[in-house]
Amino acid sequence: MNFKLGTAASVFAAAALFAGPSIADVCDTPSELGDLGKFEGEVITIMGSMEGKDEEMLTNTASCFEKATGAVVKYSGSRDFAALIVADLRSNNAPNIAIFPQPGLAADMAEEGHLTPLGQESADWMAENYGAGPSWVALGTYADKDGNEAFYGFPYKMDLKSLVWYSPEQFEDNGYEIPETMEGLIELSDQMVADGNTPWCIGVESGNATGWTATDWMEDLMLRTTSPENYDKWVSNELPFNSPEVINAMEVYGKFSRNDDYVAGGASSVATTFFGDAPKGLFSSPASCMMHRQASFIPAFFPNKGEELTDGSADFFYFPPYESADLGNPVLGAGTLWTMTKDSPATRAFFEYMKEASAHEAWMQQGTFLTAHKDVDLSAYATPTLRKQGEILSSATTFRFDASDLMPGAIGAGAFWSEMTAFANGQDAKTTADNIQAAWDAIK
Amino acid sequence: MTRTFKHIVLALIVVIWVLPFVALVTTSLRSETASKTSGFWTAFTPTELGHRFGTHDRDQTDPFVTMSGNIFERLNGDKESFEVSGEVNSILFKGRVPDPDNAGKTKLIKQLIYAGEVMDVRDGEFVFQSNGDFTWTFPEATAPKPKNLDAFINQDPVFGTDAYVEVLFENENVPNALISSFIVTIPATIIPITIAAFAAYAFAWMRFPGRDWLFVIVVSLMVVPTQLAFLPVLQGFSGIASWATSLNAWLTDCEATQTCQVASKSFASLWVTHTAFGLPLAIYLLRNYIVGLPKELLESARIDGASHLKIFTRLIIPLSVPALASFSIFQFLWVWNDLIVALYIGSADSADLVFPIRLQKQLGTFKDQLHLLNASAVISIIVPVIVFLSMQRYFIRGLLAGSVKGG
Repeated sequence: MNFKLGTAASVFAAAALFAGPSIADVCDTPSELGDLGKFEGEVITIMGSMEGKDEEMLTNTASCFEKATGAVVKYSGSRDFAALIVADLRSNNAPNIAIFPQPGLAADMAEEGHLTPLGQESADWMAENYGAGPSWVALGTYADKDGNEAFYGFPYKMDLKSLVWYSPEQFEDNGYEIPETMEGLIELSDQMVADGNTPWCIGVESGNATGWTATDWMEDLMLRTTSPENYDKWVSNELPFNSPEVINAMEVYGKFSRNDDYVAGGASSVATTFFGDAPKGLFSSPASCMMHRQASFIPAFFPNKGEELTDGSADFFYFPPYESADLGNPVLGAGTLWTMTKDSPATRAFFEYMKEASAHEAWMQQGTFLTAHKDVDLSAYATPTLRKQGEILSSATTFRFDASDLMPGAIGAGAFWSEMTAFANGQDAKTTADNIQAAWDAIK
Repeated sequence: MTRTFKHIVLALIVVIWVLPFVALVTTSLRSETASKTSGFWTAFTPTELGHRFGTHDRDQTDPFVTMSGNIFERLNGDKESFEVSGEVNSILFKGRVPDPDNAGKTKLIKQLIYAGEVMDVRDGEFVFQSNGDFTWTFPEATAPKPKNLDAFINQDPVFGTDAYVEVLFENENVPNALISSFIVTIPATIIPITIAAFAAYAFAWMRFPGRDWLFVIVVSLMVVPTQLAFLPVLQGFSGIASWATSLNAWLTDCEATQTCQVASKSFASLWVTHTAFGLPLAIYLLRNYIVGLPKELLESARIDGASHLKIFTRLIIPLSVPALASFSIFQFLWVWNDLIVALYIGSADSADLVFPIRLQKQLGTFKDQLHLLNASAVISIIVPVIVFLSMQRYFIRGLLAGSVKGG
């Protein structure tokens, strides 16, 4: 690929190219769309945190619903979603649908009574029709203010986290092979250092969410160093944060991220590198690193917005498990949760729409979208890359959700993030773990 | 202190203040790669930058013995602007060769190859000149895969207005944001200044019971932080909106077309909020100015039989122009640059977003496309600068508003 210096226009042309089919074609899916009823002119408002390309794809997908029912879907996305939705819900300005990127906040809002349950019928449908269905239902089930549990959050649009991105061309030039085991991955990293290359690009800066990238690393390594049962106990704090298993995983992460030889720009740059800028090191001239561990959404942040995947200048491999640990093939993932914040017949129809395979295929065709829906036509995935990710999702022997999303907000979107940032800045693992546990004890 | 020393200090302060703006404008006129890989101060002189180019297109598969081409042509391709020109200094060569120290193992070599030197690329001889011409020769006709190489080019300065063209003309986001910002800012400046002028006159020249206490309350409202009030204000708007919705349903036949709903977050709610939060300072500033106007003037007008309204419109307003203008500038700048009120109280419709929110969204979407964000930021700065410069003479007088009493 020609390293596009991109006038703005060519970058946009590239983005459009990657966006795949035009809006008109998006609704033209392999699966037939069922009857959803007619809601001529009724407005459904949706609020979420998706912006930019994701926002565009969401609007396109919703336009299929508009076409089928006559309703009007208005989406507004903001990076400050978490703060805005709380103010809106508490002041009776609720949108019809709120898309929570993390279950923690959704659970808080359910407890305050701002969410409308989607009903047992929807929960049963999901358990049946989503791969690993019961665990998805559990992800969207919260207690209301009286402690009664109900299904509130509809998981739609998933991310796969256990991926390592690299440039095949760099691997070819340098004569590197894709490792099958964690031992192999560490050996390869050492080999790169010996060759005078830098193996990893790591960046955890993300404004007021700084640190979440580090928590993903931690979770992936937890699944590779200890049993899934321990992972579940860790999420519920049955296994304290400062227990040996957790500290061990953090130290393994430290071996990657706190090693000046391993990280482009040195270990001290980890906390200040924007997570979206980190992968650009793979494509810089000359390349500043060889590998980048990040979720499936990251190609949107590549210099050509993911066109790299189509022209073969970027690819990924599965973040491998330890051969010696014998824990199978664990996969870490996440999903956005769609909740009903203001009931209306058209809104209910929208949730029915999301159960249709067609609604999933419409987004699959456009780009970065993964689904656990069993009935979708996998050929609808926009690229072979996505199909390969879909396969990883289905061939996982262990699937676990992003732990920081499952932990209470004060931990999963608070202490865990900030303490992992402190860890990146040189705080030792024991202190980091103790601090997070102390924060957890404080909210019990 | 000598005069020269003072001048030096002054010049230094000016440089420190102007530098970020120069950086912003310069970056907005540079290409994406250039602004991402080198500082703005390097934009004006030839600078060595790394560029990756491919030897030929993927679909070109005819076998050849010698291929010749030009690095700049390969780089520039069908580009219309920010064309790379200059001198090719070197190419970074990478490859594995047998390791002399470890039998059976290979060693990675990375080496800078300079113009005229022979380089082994896919078993062919690759030679380039500093003007960008290269030849790639094979012993026999072959059809090698394209090879991407990193070239270090001493690049000539190049500027372009592409980023401005793109944000202004290629999609409607920035133009919409400009219009929305004007829709919000102009009434949100005029409404409070109008109300405040009347109130200030009343506080300064009319006698009514509790006047001083009321004034103290108004002044103390200045310290209420905006953020504290969001939730109650939003609840208020939501109540008004639902009341307006039922009124709408009762008065019109909107139910048939599903259009009864009155939005609680809109331009109007922003006007009201900005007015409310701007009023205390406005009243305070204007009252202190108006109270300082010559008492004799007003008394003689009164003796001539002028009413309060007449005194206000004929005397107070013309005499208060400096104070009115300076407050207008304050309010205009504050509303124009406001992000948080617009985010919470304003409409979230994509077309109705004001400029600061649009900039923030670009930060989210384009943090990697600095030049676009910079171009939008420059556009958003221009408006307040025009307002400031055109009202500057009032502003300087207005800064003293209320500070000198006399009469």
